[in-house]
Amino acid sequence: MTAMEPAVQPPPRNFSERLTRLTSKAPIHIALLAIAFVWLVPTIGLLVTSFRPRSEIQATGWWTVFGGNIDFTINNYRQVLEQQNMLQAFINSVSIVIPATIFPLLIASMAAFAFAWVKFPFRDTLFLGVIAMLLIPAQMTFIPLSRLVGASGLGGTFIPIWLIHTAFALPFGIFLLRNFFITLPKDLIEAARIDGAGNVGIFRQIVIPLSVPALASYAIFQFLWTWNDLLMALIFAPRQGQPMTVQITQLLGTYGSEWHILAASSFLIMVVPLVVFFSLQRYFVQGLLAGSVK
Amino acid sequence: MTRFRMVAPIAVLALILTACPAGSSSNSPGGSAGSSGGSGATIEVTSLWGGAEADAFQAVLDAFTAKTGINVTYTSQRNDYSTVLSNRLAQSDPPDVAIIPGIGFLRSFAKDGLLIPLSEVGLDDSTLASAYASNLSDMGTSVGTVKGTAYAIMVKLNSKSTIWYDPSRFSDNGWDTPSDFQGLKDLTDQIKSDGKTPWALGAGDSWTLTDWFESIYLRQAGEDAYDTLFSPDGDWKDQSVKDAIDTMTSILTEDNVAGGINGALATAFTDGIGLVFSANPTAEMYYEGGFVGGIATGDVNTDLVSGETIDFFDFPEIDGSGLKITVGGDVMAAFTKNDGVAEFMQYLASGEAGKVWAQGGTIISPMSGVANGDYPAGVQKEAQQIADSKLARFDGSDLLPGGPDLGAVLQQALQDPTNLDGPLSDFQTQVDDAWAQLNG
Amino acid sequence: MTDASATARPIERGGGMPKMSGEFSWTAALFVAPAVALLAIFLLYPTISTIILSFQEGLDNYIRLFTRDPNFFDVRSFPPSGAFWNNVLWVVFYTGGCVFFGLLVAVMATRVRYEALVKAIVFLPQAIAATALGVIWKFVYAPNDQIGLLNAGVGIFGIDPIAWLGNTSWVNTSLIVAGIWGSVGFATVILSAALKGISTEIIEAARVDGARESQIFWRILVPMLSLPISVVAVTLIINVVKLFDLIYVMTQGGPGSTSRTIAFTMYKEALASRNFDYGAAVAVIMLLVLVPVMVFNVRRFRADRVVQ
Repeated sequence: MTAMEPAVQPPPRNFSERLTRLTSKAPIHIALLAIAFVWLVPTIGLLVTSFRPRSEIQATGWWTVFGGNIDFTINNYRQVLEQQNMLQAFINSVSIVIPATIFPLLIASMAAFAFAWVKFPFRDTLFLGVIAMLLIPAQMTFIPLSRLVGASGLGGTFIPIWLIHTAFALPFGIFLLRNFFITLPKDLIEAARIDGAGNVGIFRQIVIPLSVPALASYAIFQFLWTWNDLLMALIFAPRQGQPMTVQITQLLGTYGSEWHILAASSFLIMVVPLVVFFSLQRYFVQGLLAGSVK
Repeated sequence: MTRFRMVAPIAVLALILTACPAGSSSNSPGGSAGSSGGSGATIEVTSLWGGAEADAFQAVLDAFTAKTGINVTYTSQRNDYSTVLSNRLAQSDPPDVAIIPGIGFLRSFAKDGLLIPLSEVGLDDSTLASAYASNLSDMGTSVGTVKGTAYAIMVKLNSKSTIWYDPSRFSDNGWDTPSDFQGLKDLTDQIKSDGKTPWALGAGDSWTLTDWFESIYLRQAGEDAYDTLFSPDGDWKDQSVKDAIDTMTSILTEDNVAGGINGALATAFTDGIGLVFSANPTAEMYYEGGFVGGIATGDVNTDLVSGETIDFFDFPEIDGSGLKITVGGDVMAAFTKNDGVAEFMQYLASGEAGKVWAQGGTIISPMSGVANGDYPAGVQKEAQQIADSKLARFDGSDLLPGGPDLGAVLQQALQDPTNLDGPLSDFQTQVDDAWAQLNG
Repeated sequence: MTDASATARPIERGGGMPKMSGEFSWTAALFVAPAVALLAIFLLYPTISTIILSFQEGLDNYIRLFTRDPNFFDVRSFPPSGAFWNNVLWVVFYTGGCVFFGLLVAVMATRVRYEALVKAIVFLPQAIAATALGVIWKFVYAPNDQIGLLNAGVGIFGIDPIAWLGNTSWVNTSLIVAGIWGSVGFATVILSAALKGISTEIIEAARVDGARESQIFWRILVPMLSLPISVVAVTLIINVVKLFDLIYVMTQGGPGSTSRTIAFTMYKEALASRNFDYGAAVAVIMLLVLVPVMVFNVRRFRADRVVQ
């Protein structure tokens, strides 16, 4: 199954064979090493910088720490949290992201269930219409939605950004979940119907419990997408409720070269996705890949 | 089995997550702050100031609260200010009062009927005119007026005719501050021949270049041409524009500027200050507004001593007709008539507020009744320059409608000084379109 | 529950609509209504409204965009410039770069024991917010060679520091490189999964016949992977059309307007400059560019199915 390597190769019999194999693959090892280096160094550079005092950052390059120039501090993080509103921004991010993940999960799975297992007029047409909305870029909606928010009197609250994130997550979520739901065993659902279960019962007791992997992928994707979102938040997050992404751009404007602040802030915003990444790597990858059509 | 393993972390995650919003919903701003009459009301004022500038402004707000009992919430928006303000207005979530940095922007708001005319907050035209210092009154009233209606108060200004340098380094090297434009050119050459880099330039922020251009244009082409250029009748393909850009690029050459042109284009305004006034300076002069002094001594290098290691000389005259200066300023306008707004606007249009603000050392107040002694020593010289000026003009690029980017044209000019016709003609088209949009 | 979940499978056969089951019931409306209502209010209505707004001045906004706005589209010189052209550059070089490096890493990684580690390292930037990614690369590109890694690097070869983001001839290249860095992981993971599906025998047979590795790569792997490659490419092209965060954080479209993209232009025009109808026209152009790409993507096999 697993192609090419290493399955096709018997284990090396002795040291010299191991050496031969190693040298024959040397170009590949070197190339991969170089790639890993290029992909790690920029992030490590900023990470190291986030622990260096401002004066050091401006005097010497971060790479000099590997030459023994070690002078670390957590003051940058303290400053960012205490003086640059990052703590508040973190809370704001959470306040935006939680409902913006739960709402679409609920609404999309309900609709996906109906599209998969409930008969109603114009079902296929409607489903196609929902899928077509995948192609609407957010930019298409900014101007009318801003006016709508104004007319509704909800400006300055979290409600607009919750609803907008939710709406934009729906076409993809319905598509993904409906495709998953239709693969559920038909017999099981038919049997439940015969036993007298209604749609609500089937949805809650059969479809949802059986679909945890798909729901998890979708939830993780939506969580990351809203956590990392800048554009929607710039426009629709309330002035007092700006998430971390927006707060960082504030620092950029003010502290263009204050790298100690920027570096620490950037790592704060990366912490949550990285935790998700390392703890739920498989679903994380699935979620991101599944979401890539969005 | 595998499925089970992943349910647990998801459940934990969900638990952690759902626990949070309860606490945070309390800080979701409650839309319009309930204003409950006169004293005790709260209004929101927004601007793009932070740091020392915000501190100085806060002192004014505190004095206002002490006097009237009206609370003021100050929100600072440091990046992308105009977009955020515009968004808030579109979403009917306006601040009560906002400092508006561009007059073009003010016009756009006025056109859409988003501003409260000053006459409705108790400031009629004559009150306002007499509130300003006499030599600034015409400029102040015209800048805040759109199509005959006064909407905004010019609350602060700064000279944009100040070239900053380190007097101790100048005297060590035997350099003298110039008194005319030829002298400035000679000084530039002399510094270069002494093996130093004459100029720092924060051209990454393109408005620093428009300030250069405006200072030269006003002095070289004269105030009438200046007024025309920044009006809907402006002709950007005129020779006078090219001449001014030529003058500018003849000083700001690859060799005269720290880091070369490309380095300058990547240097932000504040970083440019650092090039001259940090502990390890790499350039000798920095042209920008009077606010440089406060930022340099407050943020860039606290060891600086005003008058000894940091000072400015006037951006010199070109045609020998006496000192003309350009100034930059911000105007303040009201977006609501909530309780307290009228009191606040009236207070800001007074010398009383001007005095308090002046003490912060970050601005020059255009209000009458603010004396030179009201300023800290560091800014008295700038205040004096403005008070003494016979002829002041408002920052022209701030008078243009928003959108067309003169700074971008100048950034291009720095990189390719001989190719001006194309960019200027493009700019003309954009400015015409923008004016048409604004007046249409 | 465990027992039942064992029967659940991710989308594998992706079959068509199941036969209608159950009777019509009013609960169907209940299930679909919230989604339909939200989509109608927050996507459908605004889209129609934006299209109408963009034609407020007839075709004027569109004509102005393509003939009188050098920040958007300027073909009077070669190479052309403007936001639209920048997006073309992004499509070609960013998409090409991601696919090339993605394939390279995927192929090379299969031959080493630390495959998973390499792929994880390359994939990691996918987790990072574009905002943070922008800061990371702004830092790499810092013009001061005591701060910016890249300038320190070229300094070793005696090259003076370059303002990578401040120089009109470098800025787009620099941004695209940062973009590629962020997205190669996506291409790697999908292409690597597809690679596993290629039978070992074909490659072994080619080896036995004396094919060189480069021949195997170009003559066997690339043609056999053409489907997943096209899926990756299309997904990346959609990314490009919507590209905003990186530009906003790293250059704000500058210096001047040299690094603007269509999506960034829309933001600037509609929101910062308050040219609402003009910005609406830019948004409509985004939509028009996206339609064929999205149609292609939806019709082709999905990225997630390729992985399965």
